[in-house]
Amino acid sequence: MPAIKIDQDKIKEAVQTIVDLGGDGIRNCVQCGACSAVCPGVKAGFPVLCRLLIRKILNGQLEETIEEVSTWGCQSCNRCTEVCPQGVRPQEVVFAYRRYQAGELAMSASAFGPQMSLYETGHAVTTDATAANREKVGLNPVPPTALQNKAAQKEIQTLLDESPMADLGIF
Amino acid sequence: MVKVGVYVCHCGTNIAGVVDVEAVRAFAETLPGVALARRSLFMCSDTGQEMIKQDIRDGLVDRVVVAACTPRTHEPIFRAACEAAGLNKYLFEMANIRDQDSWVHGQDHAGATEKAKKIVSSAVAKATHLKPLEDKFVDVEPTALVIGGGVGGIFSALELGGMGYKTYLVEKQPSIGGVMAQLDKTFPTNDCSACILTPVMVDAGNHPNIELLTYSEVESVDGYIGNFTVKVRRKQTYIDWNKCTGCGACAEACPAKVPDEFNCGLNERGAAYIHFPQAVPKKAVIDMEHCINCAGRKIGTEPKISKKTGKPMLAPCEKACPADAINRSLPLNPEGELIELKIGTIVVATGYKVMGKESFKEYAPQSPNVITALQLERIISATGPTGGKLLRPSDQVKPKTLTFVSCVGSRDERYHTYCSRVCCMYMIKQARLLKEKYPDLNINMHFIDVRCAGKDYDEYYVGARKMGINIFKGKVGGVEMLPDDKLRVLAYDMESGTPMEYESDLVVLATAIESNEDARKVAQVTGLQFCGAHFFRELHPKLGPVETSVEGLFVAGCCQGPKDIPDTVSQAKGAAAAAAVPLAQGKVKIEPIISEVHPEKCSGCGICVPLCPYDAITLKPYGDRPRAQIDITQCHGCGVCTAACPSGAIVLHGYTEDQIFSQIAALTA
Repeated sequence: MPAIKIDQDKIKEAVQTIVDLGGDGIRNCVQCGACSAVCPGVKAGFPVLCRLLIRKILNGQLEETIEEVSTWGCQSCNRCTEVCPQGVRPQEVVFAYRRYQAGELAMSASAFGPQMSLYETGHAVTTDATAANREKVGLNPVPPTALQNKAAQKEIQTLLDESPMADLGIF
Repeated sequence: MVKVGVYVCHCGTNIAGVVDVEAVRAFAETLPGVALARRSLFMCSDTGQEMIKQDIRDGLVDRVVVAACTPRTHEPIFRAACEAAGLNKYLFEMANIRDQDSWVHGQDHAGATEKAKKIVSSAVAKATHLKPLEDKFVDVEPTALVIGGGVGGIFSALELGGMGYKTYLVEKQPSIGGVMAQLDKTFPTNDCSACILTPVMVDAGNHPNIELLTYSEVESVDGYIGNFTVKVRRKQTYIDWNKCTGCGACAEACPAKVPDEFNCGLNERGAAYIHFPQAVPKKAVIDMEHCINCAGRKIGTEPKISKKTGKPMLAPCEKACPADAINRSLPLNPEGELIELKIGTIVVATGYKVMGKESFKEYAPQSPNVITALQLERIISATGPTGGKLLRPSDQVKPKTLTFVSCVGSRDERYHTYCSRVCCMYMIKQARLLKEKYPDLNINMHFIDVRCAGKDYDEYYVGARKMGINIFKGKVGGVEMLPDDKLRVLAYDMESGTPMEYESDLVVLATAIESNEDARKVAQVTGLQFCGAHFFRELHPKLGPVETSVEGLFVAGCCQGPKDIPDTVSQAKGAAAAAAVPLAQGKVKIEPIISEVHPEKCSGCGICVPLCPYDAITLKPYGDRPRAQIDITQCHGCGVCTAACPSGAIVLHGYTEDQIFSQIAALTA
């Protein structure tokens, strides 16, 4: 592993990027590790979550970490925020980092499908598994959500078109 | 015409790094009344002070303005310099261009320089209107009061008593000893706490100059340094302490059951009880809040006469007492007994309490096997509920794995941001004591980081590692309850960057030290201030560590901030030494910067009387009608009366109307 060279400008840029994207508690971190102690993602084998992700950002390792998949393992259970003694709100930092990754299109290929599905149908993940059951009890196989509501789908598309997501050119 | 000398201080770079000192000096020279203006690298140095003295002696100046730091620390120094050169010291005025200027406008040099000029011109304007004032002196009552009977209070009392001053030691519990009496052993020497504290408690109890007022609380403190009037309320015990021998028969007979606070609620005591086996004074009390009024006989009523024997039917405690010291027929007096004391100086040592586990939902507080470190201290103590055996509370079985969790409630924005300072060390102590006694016990300690700054402390910590105690860096995130009274610990090893999850039989939480609930009341009656963390604020964090903003009041021990026993004892002895100074001098100075009523202008409206926060003003007959009069010993010079008086009859010396208006004029020019 190459040694990290401490570059103050790089650290400043990394921290500011995360702060601007919503992870504004990052500077409070004292690296106690309580967040990682309760994180189901860390236990599942995603090591660069909360504590270690924050450390890497505070070291200025923003770009070096961009291909990290741990961040996508966050289940947003928010236990890290509950136990954090310093008000870091670690989950917000993880999400800020995800926004950074998304902005650079550094997300897994499997993430694109659900994004497109969300844009077109109003649901990121759709399933046919319940259709038969619904029909059995005399319901429309398609639930009465955005899936069968053209106006709602249009609204969702408008919202996404206005959001930073549109700039990624996924849709 | 007055001749004002202005002295502008560089304060090294504190001021000169921001403010253009030469520009301020040159500006001061142009102000009306200013005879000369000089500057110096450090005005408070001998050279700086000598500069002022020489100008006074040479007759160049007769008013002095020093533009420097804060009057809080430096006004006395410059006043003394003026006095030494033969000038009345109240002809001195300070302009605070450091705390109020260079320190807060560090990035705006031009703006700070302009502000410094304003501050200086305001001070000069006031200085031109200053009048000489004279100090007054009053006699001092050569008696001390120590509030709080923990190790800090005991040592303060012993010092003061040893110097020959009559000292009262007030403690709310029935015995002195405080939290230290609850401890098993003490780090880093593993001295038995009882073995080193008990003889000291006995010394305090037997000292000819110390009077113990236990089971008592300070109700009010009036007056001022040297002449405090203190009211102490002694709770009613229903036991005549002159007769009580401390045998404990009443405690054994009492059928009431209350969690025993000395054992942190791990076992129960009766309503009649002795605080702990080594109590000083060793006397029993009946705690009326928990007395169950045996045999349906209300407290304060005469016993029923038995039809069989014709004798009075006594309560179990009364019956058990061989000394005949208990009298339950005495009427209930919730007020207790009020004692009034005349006191010269006071040391406040009200101590601390540790947080309970209830707030920490993430650590399974509902489990009986999650305990606080103070509870563990009682469990491993020979006088504790298990006689010193390590048994977990749920089933009284010896645990195989024990977990320590650090920084519970300390270094935590949700509770207390400060470090409680002793937890790392006492956890290591407990781990070491247990490992020595039970070598097969698995001990896991989890720290955010280990803080062992003290004489022989780090060696003590390294020793713990050598003994085979597992130490992990990383805060425990959660504790979960499992079947069979087991606990699952969710931790993280920072060094390897991996999560840890294991089963533990007992979890010990090092909960934070926080100020006592009673501290608020003590602050209200004494006028002491709190710092942000809710401990008592000392006068100056470095140079006034035992003094407070209330003259004649001193602080020691954990009520001023978390600290260990050596630091508490040092501070207690320091506070006692400082508190003895006015007692030794026999008189105290009353600063003349206080208010005075001009009776010929006073209309006797009485508006000022209820406004005075120090109850210093009364209406007294003067001529044909009552007029306001101010007791100079009570007045603190706050100026509320002066501002409120519709007749302009009250003058606050040192802040007279012409002085204030001239300042305003200078600032708005």
